[in-house]
Amino acid sequence: MPALSQYPHHVHVARLTVLLVLVAATGYATAVPSVMLGYRGEPGVEAKMLAAVQADLEPVRFLRVDAGISFNLFQNTGLGAAGVGVGGVVYDPAGLTLRLAGQHQQWNDWQAGENRLLLVLEAGPLFGFDAGFGLVRRVPVFGDMYCSPSVWGSGAAEWNYLYRLRWKFIRRESWWLRAGFSTYDRFTAHNPQQFPLEADGAYRLRDDLELVARAGTSIVGYSGGLVSFHEVELGAGVRHGF
Amino acid sequence: MGSRRAFLFALAGLLALCACEWDLWGIVTRPTVEDRVRDNLSGDPPAPGPVPVNPDSFRFAVFGDPQIKHDYLSSLGRFKQEVADRGIDFFCVLGDLTNDATPDEVDTVKLQLDRVGIPYYATIGNHDLYQADGWERFKQNYGPSCYAVVIADRVKLIFLDTADGTIGPAQFDWLASELQDSSYIRLVLTHFPAYDGEKPIMWRLASDAERAKVQGLLERYGAYAWCAGHIHGLRHTQVDAVHHLTCGAMAPGKLDYGNPGYLLFTFARDSLSWEFVELNWQ
Repeated sequence: MPALSQYPHHVHVARLTVLLVLVAATGYATAVPSVMLGYRGEPGVEAKMLAAVQADLEPVRFLRVDAGISFNLFQNTGLGAAGVGVGGVVYDPAGLTLRLAGQHQQWNDWQAGENRLLLVLEAGPLFGFDAGFGLVRRVPVFGDMYCSPSVWGSGAAEWNYLYRLRWKFIRRESWWLRAGFSTYDRFTAHNPQQFPLEADGAYRLRDDLELVARAGTSIVGYSGGLVSFHEVELGAGVRHGF
Repeated sequence: MGSRRAFLFALAGLLALCACEWDLWGIVTRPTVEDRVRDNLSGDPPAPGPVPVNPDSFRFAVFGDPQIKHDYLSSLGRFKQEVADRGIDFFCVLGDLTNDATPDEVDTVKLQLDRVGIPYYATIGNHDLYQADGWERFKQNYGPSCYAVVIADRVKLIFLDTADGTIGPAQFDWLASELQDSSYIRLVLTHFPAYDGEKPIMWRLASDAERAKVQGLLERYGAYAWCAGHIHGLRHTQVDAVHHLTCGAMAPGKLDYGNPGYLLFTFARDSLSWEFVELNWQ
């Protein structure tokens, strides 16, 4: 059996995701796995289909673990991104959670990748609002090493801040809708000036099964005063609760 | 009280926007980068040709942002002295020639650039599009905003239009084709920076995927540098073998990121080197 370090890191993330789902199936922890299919387009940059598997787990009260892996189809085909995160609830009434996450994203056609470490303080949901603020260490990697998640030094490395404010403005018994902006998610961390807008929602099919959908866009040119919508991301899938 | 304050704040913001010299409707309805690149690649107006230089040794300056305002001040007069002192053969202006792109500003900066007295190339910046006819005026005065020119059969200057803060599909394809010929030292000259050090400010290409694609292309084809304006000062970030430089500005006075200045490139003994020349402002 090969040593653990011989496996690519995304294999570890995939294993962790499966493990979280299996742990959830035992019933000893609260877990929510989901599968999403989607599209991401950015004029002149890329247009691709996305397929992602994610799992959220609460093994003990006040501790949250998540992992996910995403694949690209039609452009930059293959592994697209992987992410793992761990969060601790520091003040339950406000849902205040300190979350540490690692991400690897790659663009196979361009031999470009990016490793990120995120530290975010999140709050909510409170009156339908949830918010987050934090920092990301962004380490772009190019050339032969682009697909390695273990490269943490680069001439292009930089610090960016992260922010999020979303409002669940419709909450019904079987469905909800939310809108807002967020510079980060499980697999990506936008630049602060990209100002991504998003809307998502869910419809409960059964007690433990939801249909989920998400649409997002982002602005470029904000720093030059010539604003245009640039990126479009659409996704839909199912989320299962254990 | 809170909503009254918010209303007054919004009203003040609206009045401030209306009072500025920008043509807000013109900004909204401006030709996009895709429209401009289509114009550029149609060949009308034609791209400028190479300037005559000594093929064994030549020097050129690169700066951005003269950003001429209604006071018509710039550092171009002082730069003219530098041209004589340092033997500069030609220069490149990386956008934001004017502050508001009004007809007076457009005419004044053209006059000041011409008065430097040596050949020059220009590309467009976001400020040059702050009037409805910004692109038309730029085209009339300087020609296309995306084009390539080979100097002395050794150095290829690839001017890119990033005035919208993005590159666009047609220009990305064109950039890839222009970068391919490895017989030249290749520099990309444009308005928006791509990388800007460990603690970047917001004045750069925003999309991380777009930046990854740009750097992937620059590395694959062995480009020498990505030189940009937009940030009013020198910044140098080396990503693998590619230099990412912001080149300093020719606006007058003490600027937000340092004194006015320019990048001075020297081609000699078959290699290219650069230094930043600061113009102290008193």
